[in-house]
Amino acid sequence: MDNYDDENYDDGFDELRSSATMQISLWRRLFTFTLPYKAELWVMVVAGSVTALMEMAYPLITKWLIDDVDANGQEADLFFWAMVYLGTCFLMAVSIGSFIWMTSKIRVYASYDIRKAAFANLQNLSFSFFDYRPVGWLMARMTSDCERLTNILAWGLLDLIWGSAVMLGMTVAMLVMNWKLALLVLAIVPFLTWVSIKFQRTILGSARAVRRTNSRITGAYTQGIMGVLTSKTFSREAPNASEFRHLTGDMYIASVRNLTLSAIYIPIILIMSSLAVGLTLAVGGSDMLVGIVEAGTLVAFMMFARHFFDPVEVMGYWFAEMQMAQASAERVLSLIDAEPEIKDSDSVSNAVRIHRSTPQRETRAADGGPVDIHEVELVNVNFAYNTTVPVLRDINLTARKGETIAIVGPTGSGKSTLVNLVCRFYQPTSGQVRIDGIDYRNRSLRWLQSNLGVVLQNAHVFRGTVLENIRYGRLTASDSDVIEAAETVGAHEFINALENGYRTDVGEDGDMLSAGQKQLVSFARAILADPQILVMDEATSSVDTVTEAKIQRSLGQVLSGRISFVIAHRLSTIRNADRIVVLIDGQISEIGDHAELIARGGHYANLYYQQSLQEATRDWPSNRANDQTEDGEDLVEPSPA
Amino acid sequence: MNNTVSKTSRNSLWVITQGQRTRYSLALVAMGLASVFAIAAPLVGMYALDVVVYRDFSLGTNVLVSLTRELSGSDSFAWYLWLSAAAGVVLTLLAGVFSFLKSRWAAIASEALAQRLRDELFGHLHRLPAAFFDAADSGDLVQRCTSDVETIRVFLQAHVVEIGRAVLLLFAMLPILFWRDYRLAWLSICLMPLLGVGAFVFFRRIKTLFEITDASEGVLTAVLKENLTGIRVVRAFARHDFERDRFGERNRAFRDNYYRLNKVMAIYWCASDFIATCQIGIVLIAGGVFLVEGSLTVGELFVFISQVSMVIWPIRHLGRVLTDSGKAIVALGRVDHILKSPEESVEPTPATGRGRGAITVTNLDFSYPNGQGILRNMSLSVAPGETVALVGPPGCGKTTFIRVLLRFYPYQRGQIKIDDLEINEIDREWIRAQIGVVLQDPFLYAQTIDSNLRVGRPAAPHEDLLQAAQDASLHESISKFADGYDTMVGERGVTLSGGQRQRVALARALLKDPPILVLDDSLSAVDTDTEHRILTALEQRRGRRTTLIVAHRLTTVRNADRILVMDNGRIVQQGSHQQLAEEQGPYRRLCEIQGALDESIRNDLEGLNRG
Repeated sequence: MDNYDDENYDDGFDELRSSATMQISLWRRLFTFTLPYKAELWVMVVAGSVTALMEMAYPLITKWLIDDVDANGQEADLFFWAMVYLGTCFLMAVSIGSFIWMTSKIRVYASYDIRKAAFANLQNLSFSFFDYRPVGWLMARMTSDCERLTNILAWGLLDLIWGSAVMLGMTVAMLVMNWKLALLVLAIVPFLTWVSIKFQRTILGSARAVRRTNSRITGAYTQGIMGVLTSKTFSREAPNASEFRHLTGDMYIASVRNLTLSAIYIPIILIMSSLAVGLTLAVGGSDMLVGIVEAGTLVAFMMFARHFFDPVEVMGYWFAEMQMAQASAERVLSLIDAEPEIKDSDSVSNAVRIHRSTPQRETRAADGGPVDIHEVELVNVNFAYNTTVPVLRDINLTARKGETIAIVGPTGSGKSTLVNLVCRFYQPTSGQVRIDGIDYRNRSLRWLQSNLGVVLQNAHVFRGTVLENIRYGRLTASDSDVIEAAETVGAHEFINALENGYRTDVGEDGDMLSAGQKQLVSFARAILADPQILVMDEATSSVDTVTEAKIQRSLGQVLSGRISFVIAHRLSTIRNADRIVVLIDGQISEIGDHAELIARGGHYANLYYQQSLQEATRDWPSNRANDQTEDGEDLVEPSPA
Repeated sequence: MNNTVSKTSRNSLWVITQGQRTRYSLALVAMGLASVFAIAAPLVGMYALDVVVYRDFSLGTNVLVSLTRELSGSDSFAWYLWLSAAAGVVLTLLAGVFSFLKSRWAAIASEALAQRLRDELFGHLHRLPAAFFDAADSGDLVQRCTSDVETIRVFLQAHVVEIGRAVLLLFAMLPILFWRDYRLAWLSICLMPLLGVGAFVFFRRIKTLFEITDASEGVLTAVLKENLTGIRVVRAFARHDFERDRFGERNRAFRDNYYRLNKVMAIYWCASDFIATCQIGIVLIAGGVFLVEGSLTVGELFVFISQVSMVIWPIRHLGRVLTDSGKAIVALGRVDHILKSPEESVEPTPATGRGRGAITVTNLDFSYPNGQGILRNMSLSVAPGETVALVGPPGCGKTTFIRVLLRFYPYQRGQIKIDDLEINEIDREWIRAQIGVVLQDPFLYAQTIDSNLRVGRPAAPHEDLLQAAQDASLHESISKFADGYDTMVGERGVTLSGGQRQRVALARALLKDPPILVLDDSLSAVDTDTEHRILTALEQRRGRRTTLIVAHRLTTVRNADRILVMDNGRIVQQGSHQQLAEEQGPYRRLCEIQGALDESIRNDLEGLNRG
C-alpha cells in the first residue's frame, strides 16, 4: 500500500529539470519499441494521412460543387457529387477505423514489450538496486508510466502524422488556389503555435498540482483504512476527518483551476482561428468583388481557415505532454538499462556457453566447474555499502562441508552483510570469497545461487497456497517431498491445522499466516531446495517456544552435510556450532568453538553471560520452581562480569 | 441488535447530482447559447458571401446591412464584408465565453460533488465497525475511494452536460425538422435507430470486455507486486526464469484483452461514423431531388443539413456515453457499497469523566461474525490499579478479548462492565478514552514522531511527552535522529524498526494516561535488555492504572498481580506466578518447555558461576 509516486517521493529524477528542454535522444530510444510493428506503423501512417486528406476533401468537394453549379446551373451533375461525397464518407470511416485499430495495437504491444523488458531486467538486478527503490516506486514505473509513454508513442505519433498531413495538405491546396489568401491564413500559425505550447504547459503544470494532491488523498485514505482501529482507540475520527477536508479542499481548488485553464484555452484557439476566417472573408470578399477570386474558392478557404488550426491545438498538447513525460521516460528506461552490479564476467559467460554445448553436462556445474562445494573461504574481505562507511573489515573465515558457522554480535555489527556476501548478493569491496579455492567471481552466479538456501528474518511468502510456496525451493519436488520438508522444520502440524491444509491460500504477502508461520514456511522452502550452502538470518526469531523446541531437535539433521551460516539469538543454536564468529563493528574480534571462546573469557563469554541471564529470566521460571525460585531471583541481580 | 446505524443509499447517477442541479442547469443554458453562437458565426460569413456573389443586400443579415448603411452612408460591399468578419469574430467570442462558462460551471459542480463524496467516504469509513474491515481487502477499499470516485467525477464533469444537451437537442430539433418538412424529417432520422441499436450492442459487448481487461490488469499488478516484494527470495533461489514465465503469461493476457477491447472500439467508431455520414448523405441526396422538384429551397436544405448534423453528432457518440455511464454506475455501486454499510451505533456518554479502571466480565460468550475466535463463558474481575497478565497458546482468544473490551465487536451473551457501566450501553468513545492499547504490530501515522505521540492527548505538555518517551525507552533512539521528535515517520520519512514502532506506540499510550492500559504482545520486537528497562519503568507506575498484559515471554508476565491462562476461549487457570508454577497445568507446562530448552545453558552458567 505504499504510495511512492513521482509527486511526493524524491527519487532523484527531477521533473522540472527534465521537462525544461525536449530530449530527442530519449524519444528516439523509446520509439525503437514501436519498430517491431512496422506493418502496423505503415497502415497507421497511411490511415492517418487518408483521414487528413478526406477531411480536406469536404471543403474541396463543396467548392467543386459550387463551381459546377456556377458553371452549369441546373445541368450540374448532383448525383455524381453525391456519389463522390458518399465515397469520401466511406473512405473516411474505414481510415478512422484502421488508425484506431493499428494505433491501439502498437500502443498495447509496445507497452507489453516495455514491461517485459523491464521485468526481465529487474530479475537480474542485484540487491543493492532494490535497497534504494521501494516496491511502490517500481510498480508505478511498470504500470502508469508505461501506459503514459506508450500513449505518447502511439497516439502522439498518429496525431503528428495526421496533423502534419492536414496542415501540409491544406497549405498546398490554399497556396495553389490563392497564394495571397493562403499567406494571410498562414501568418497566424506561428503566433497560434506559441500560444498553444505556452498554454498547454501551464495546463499540464496545473494538472501536475492536481496529481500531487490526488496522491496525497490516496495516501490519506490508505492511512485512514490501515489505521482505522488505532484511530478508533484514540478517538481520532473527528480530527482525521477535518485534516482530510483540508486535502479535499485543496483538491477542489486545484482541479477547478486546472479545468478552468482548459476551458479558457479552447475558446482562445477558436477566436484566433475566427480572426483568420474573418480576414479571409474580408480580404477575399473584396477580391471577389473585383473578380480575382471565385465564390467556390472563398467558401473552401473559409472552411479551411476554420479547421486549419485544429492540428495546432492537438500537436501543442502532445508537445507539452512529451516534455512533461520526460522524467517518466528517464525512469522507465533506467529500469530497462540498469546493469546488474553483480553478474557473470565475460570469461564465465563464455564458459557457460561452452558448457551448454558439451555432452555429459550432469557431472559439471553450469560453468563447467565442479558441482560440489567443499569449502567456502573469505580472504581479507572488506565491504562498504557506500565508500565512506566501511561495514566489514578484514574478514578471514573458512567453512567446510558439514560445518556450521554461527555469527554473533551486537545489532549493526555486520552479521547480515557477512552472509549476504557469502550468498554473493553483494560482492566484497576488496578481498575474495573463494569456493574451493576459486574466487567466486570466476564461477557462475546462477550456479552458486541455485545451490543456496536462504532463510531471512522477514520471511517473504508469495500469494498462493502453502504447497506452492514451499515448492518454490525446488519446482520439481513432489507433494510428499514438500510435506517431508515441512515436517523437518516442524511446520507440518500447523499447516495441517489450516483450513485447507497444504492447499490453504496464504493471501497477499502471506497475510493469513503469522510471522512465525511465515518463517517456518520459508525455512521449509530452503530445506526443500537441498542447498549445499544454507544461510539462516534470525530465521526462527518469531517462532513460538514449542515449535522452536521441535526445530532444535531436528536441526542437527538439517545442517548435516551442508555448509551453514547461522545468525541466531538462541544460545542453544549458537553453542552447538562448529565455529562461532564474534563480529564487533564489522571486524572479527573472536573466532572459535563454544568451549574455546568461553575459556578465553572475552567478548563472547561476556555476551553469552549477559544473554544467558536474560534467557534464564525469560525461559527459566523453572521446572524446579518449587525449590529453586530463589536461585532464579538471584540470577536477575546484575553480577559483575 | 441495535449496534449499527443504516444510511440511505445513493445508487443512481441522478441522486448523486443533488445539490448542484441548479449549476448544471446554468451550464446547460450556457452550452445552448454557446451552440447558437457557434452556429451563427459561419452563417454570417455565408450570408456575406451571398451578398457579394449576387451583389444583393437583401440577402444579407439585416442588422449588418443597416449598420453598413449607417456607418458608410452608402451600400458599401467592403464595409459589409469587414463588418461581417468582425461579427464572425464577435459571435465566436460570445460562443467562447459561454462555452467557458459551461465548462467552468460543470467543473465547479462536478468537483464539489466529488469533494462531498470523498469527505463522506472518509468520515463514514471511520465510523464503520471493525467487522467491516475484517471482511474487506484494504487495497480494494482504497481503490473504491480513489479510482471509482475518479470515474464518477469524470462522468459528472464531462458527461452530465453532454447528456443534457443530447436530450435537449433531440427534443428541440426533431419537432422543428418535422414542422419544416416531414418527408425530409423522416428521411433524416431513418438511420438513427440503427445507430441507437448499434450503440447498445456495442455497450453490452464492451462492458464485459472492460471487466475482463480490468480483471487481467488487476492480476498483472498483483503478480508484479508479489514479485517485487519478494525479489530477494527470487534472487536467493535463482528463480528468474520461473518468475519471467509467470509474469509473461499475465502480461500477455492483459495485452491480448486490452487489444481485443480496442479492436471492438475501432470497429464501432468506424461503423457509427459511416452510418452517421450516410445519414447526412441521404438528406443531401433526397434534398437534391426535392430541390430539383422545386418543393424545397437551397436555404432550407442548408439549414436542414446543419440541424440534422447537430442531432446526429451526439447520437454518434452514444456508445461512448453509454460506456462511460455504465462505468460510472458500476463505480457508484462500489462506492455505495461502502456508504450504505451500517455505521457503529451511538450511545449516551456516561456522566463520569475519567473512569476508575475496574473491569468486570460475567459469563461472556463471543464469536466473530464469521464464527471464528470464540470466547466461552468467560468471567473475570479486575480491580482498579491491578496488573493482570493473559497467557495462552496462539488463537486462544487473548486478543479477541481485548478487541471485545474495546467494543470493536458486539458480544452475544454475558456482560462486560467498566466501572459498573455495561459497555454495550454506553458511548464507544468514552470506553476507548478509558483504555490505552498497544498492539503487536502498531500502526503509526505518516506524520512526525511528536504528533504520533500526541495522538491521544494533543495538548500534552512537553515534559509529559518526554517522560512517556523515556518510560518507553524511546527517548534515546529518537535523539539519534537528526530531526529528533520532528522526524517524519513512514514513506516520506524514516522507516522505524519493529521494536521502535512498538515503543512509539507504548509511549503514545502512556502519554494518553488512561485508567486502563492494555499491552497486547506489544514488546515482542523489543530486545530483552530494553524490555527489562521498560518493565521497570512501568513497575514504578504500578497501582496508578489497571494494566492488562498479553505476552509470551515469561519475564513480562511473572510480576503481574494475577496471571490468567486461556485456552480455546476459556480461562483455564488463574493466580500469581508462584501459585500457578506450583499447580499442575498448562502454565507449568509452558514453563517447563521453555526451561528445558535451555538446560544446557544453565549448566554452562553454573559452570561459569563456579569458575
